[in-house]
Amino acid sequence: MLRAVRNWCLAVVVALFVAPATAQELKIGLASEPSAMDPHFHNLTPNNSLLSHVFERLVETDPSNKLIPGLAESWKILDGNIWEFKLRAGVKWHDGSAFTADDVIFTFERAPNVPNSPSSFATSTKGKTLKKIDDLTLQFSTPGPYPLLANDLSNVLIVSRKTGEGAKTEDYNSGKAAVGTGPFKFASFTPGDKIEMVRNPDYWGTKAAFEKITFKPIKAGPARVAALLAGDVDIIEDVPTADIERLKKEPRIALSQGVSRRVIYFHLDQFRDETPFIKAKDGGAIKNPLRDKRVRQALSKAINRDAIVSRVMEGVALPASQFLADQFFGVSAKLKPVAFDLEGARKLLAEAGYPNGFKMTMHGPNGRYTNDVKIIEAVAQMFTRAGIETSIETLPPAVFFSRASAGAGGLPEFSFILVGWSADTGETSGSLKPLVGTFDKDKGTGSANRGRYSNPALDAMIAEAQATVDDGKRAGILAQAVEIAIDDVAIIPSHYPINTWGTRKGLKITPRADEYTFVMGVTKE
Amino acid sequence: MSIAETPATVETPNKPKPAVESPLRRFAAEFLESRVAAGALLMLGLIISLAALAPWITPQNPYDLAQVDVLDSRLPPGTKSSSGAYTHWLGTDGAGRDLVSAMIYGLRISLLVGAASGLIAMVIGTVVGMTAAYAGGRTETLIMRVVDLQLSFPAILLALMLIAVLGKGIDKIIIALVTVQWAYYARTVRGTALVEARKEYVEAARCLGLSSARILFKHIGPNCMAPLIVVATVQTAHAIALEATLSFLGVGLPQTEPSLGLLISNGFEYMLSHKYWISFFPGLVLLITIVIINLVGDQLRDVLNPRLKK
Repeated sequence: MLRAVRNWCLAVVVALFVAPATAQELKIGLASEPSAMDPHFHNLTPNNSLLSHVFERLVETDPSNKLIPGLAESWKILDGNIWEFKLRAGVKWHDGSAFTADDVIFTFERAPNVPNSPSSFATSTKGKTLKKIDDLTLQFSTPGPYPLLANDLSNVLIVSRKTGEGAKTEDYNSGKAAVGTGPFKFASFTPGDKIEMVRNPDYWGTKAAFEKITFKPIKAGPARVAALLAGDVDIIEDVPTADIERLKKEPRIALSQGVSRRVIYFHLDQFRDETPFIKAKDGGAIKNPLRDKRVRQALSKAINRDAIVSRVMEGVALPASQFLADQFFGVSAKLKPVAFDLEGARKLLAEAGYPNGFKMTMHGPNGRYTNDVKIIEAVAQMFTRAGIETSIETLPPAVFFSRASAGAGGLPEFSFILVGWSADTGETSGSLKPLVGTFDKDKGTGSANRGRYSNPALDAMIAEAQATVDDGKRAGILAQAVEIAIDDVAIIPSHYPINTWGTRKGLKITPRADEYTFVMGVTKE
Repeated sequence: MSIAETPATVETPNKPKPAVESPLRRFAAEFLESRVAAGALLMLGLIISLAALAPWITPQNPYDLAQVDVLDSRLPPGTKSSSGAYTHWLGTDGAGRDLVSAMIYGLRISLLVGAASGLIAMVIGTVVGMTAAYAGGRTETLIMRVVDLQLSFPAILLALMLIAVLGKGIDKIIIALVTVQWAYYARTVRGTALVEARKEYVEAARCLGLSSARILFKHIGPNCMAPLIVVATVQTAHAIALEATLSFLGVGLPQTEPSLGLLISNGFEYMLSHKYWISFFPGLVLLITIVIINLVGDQLRDVLNPRLKK
């Protein structure tokens, strides 16, 4: 009798704990935690990705980052400077009120002015004047022709005027103001633990396939994989490269992969006559060799991109030839990744007057990009072989980026750095302008140009492309500009990462180039 | 005459004293009574000489980037390198370093850090502890409260904070470990010195009018040595483990010059993909090193503690 009772109790306990999560619920293991539930607080991939479930944009992007209608049903260019957007009718906010042009106008007032924002959306909202024609028609005007207007709008999540008026970031975090139009309603945010959302039954588009979704930030890669294997989560993003080979053999797990719109590259100090982290072999001061194009070419040739891709990235990357992978808008079809050529590199170094090489310290972040430290270490080996005695220093990402952009004296501090760049416009002007455009705060060019490369001809081409509304023409100009920058070795591209998501068998997630993890892209098989 | 004299003159200074054993010899005999301790001591000698001779016995210099090739990364034990120059008996790590070489070099760093920080902490702790015991009164209270405060901090947390402030490098790790450990020595020495200070020989020395410093360092000091040596062995093992922990957390040493902890950390992410060797072997070496130092320390305690004498 007693035994029977005990067995029964045991069975209940087992059933309670082992019962699989219902198909209606989905748990997602995130690689990094969003810093707020305020869609305008911090322009950061984890925030933008997560909040896209609650809020929506006028213009959305498909998985390959092509523009598609979102809250705006359609748009047309009236003349070069004025765009007219037709808003979707019948869209309701989660609190039941109707979505109108007023909400968009409110959003564009709020987005650039959120207090204490670490990186704001001002770059996407500035220079645009909004004019309401009627409740569902809006005109955007810019001072000059601006072909990227729709791209800019695809970055800004629209919030409700009714709940957003006077709301602070904390009000979004608590859920009070977190009212959107998206397929999911915000339920709760517990920093360091989880974010919960529930299905929006009144969604205007395809209704979500899941009743409830829970996002759990699991920062450590192996822990994320372990959580997936144990069934604690159904989907994980950013599967560590080291585990991909093994997970492929795992029958309970499926992987989805897609090329990122990110490029991992090296930026070189090209503005100082003497650069702080390059010395002669005997430790004496020398002139900055990186200003010599032959040295830059030699460094590019010394990098064995295939080895980085196959050994460090374990096959989940593509060797890079330019700023964006081949399928994106405005890339050059002519450029191929620079081939590994050790002899050629040594010869170029000798020609440039460094037959014995020099000493260099390479800097990079530890833990910002997939395998960043390992890439730096591998490239240091390759440079050392070519005669450039390279030591490395990796820093916590926050420290690294602030010193790399503005160290002592407000200038970029390092000589040679590994960085990554994700073109948030999904086309090459989004990389050219900040990375190799002449550093100029007023014009907004070269905002991430940590090498301070400057070429007036290139600047002119970027400006021209930005004023060309015709897509075909603009793509041609951009491709030419890319060729100039790469020929000059303004940056040394290394590779384009391939992003990997892991799901339990029976689920499938559509990989996105912008690295966003969208439950809307999850289908049951 | 001269022939007869010579042996006599030679014999006098060298006269063996069979009845009275030298204390050192007695100590050695007692120490080696335990087979385990003798074995541990032998192993310790072996490990130290391996570490000291690293540049001459390792097939590769794992810190010379020109000798390490990323194309050879993560090779399983027993594989030949792509250039054919080496056979990696225990495999390679994620950057292509030969694990045998990297472990011996890593051991070198671990032992250096352990010994250096142990020694410096011992000197500082001894001086502070004896000063406290001898001075008494307010000075003693002040010093001992500082020691208590120090001991109440978790060692790893304090070391992490120090490294964050000081930056990377072997010297900084040693500074951090000394800061974490001196208090243990200070407390031990003060306790022993308090007991010693009440003994007759110290009173005798005082009556002779010897200076405080002389009494402290010439008379009390040597008599505090026994417990100090025991604490030193335990703390050295602790220092090695702590250095490994710091390196594992990625705050200790440069990535291109891994110690054992960093090697374990490098291999950690490959554990799930069955590339066990990158973490396993350095972990094993670290374990063995710490265990044998502790074994030697245990036996030292047994021999040096009069209460445990048979």
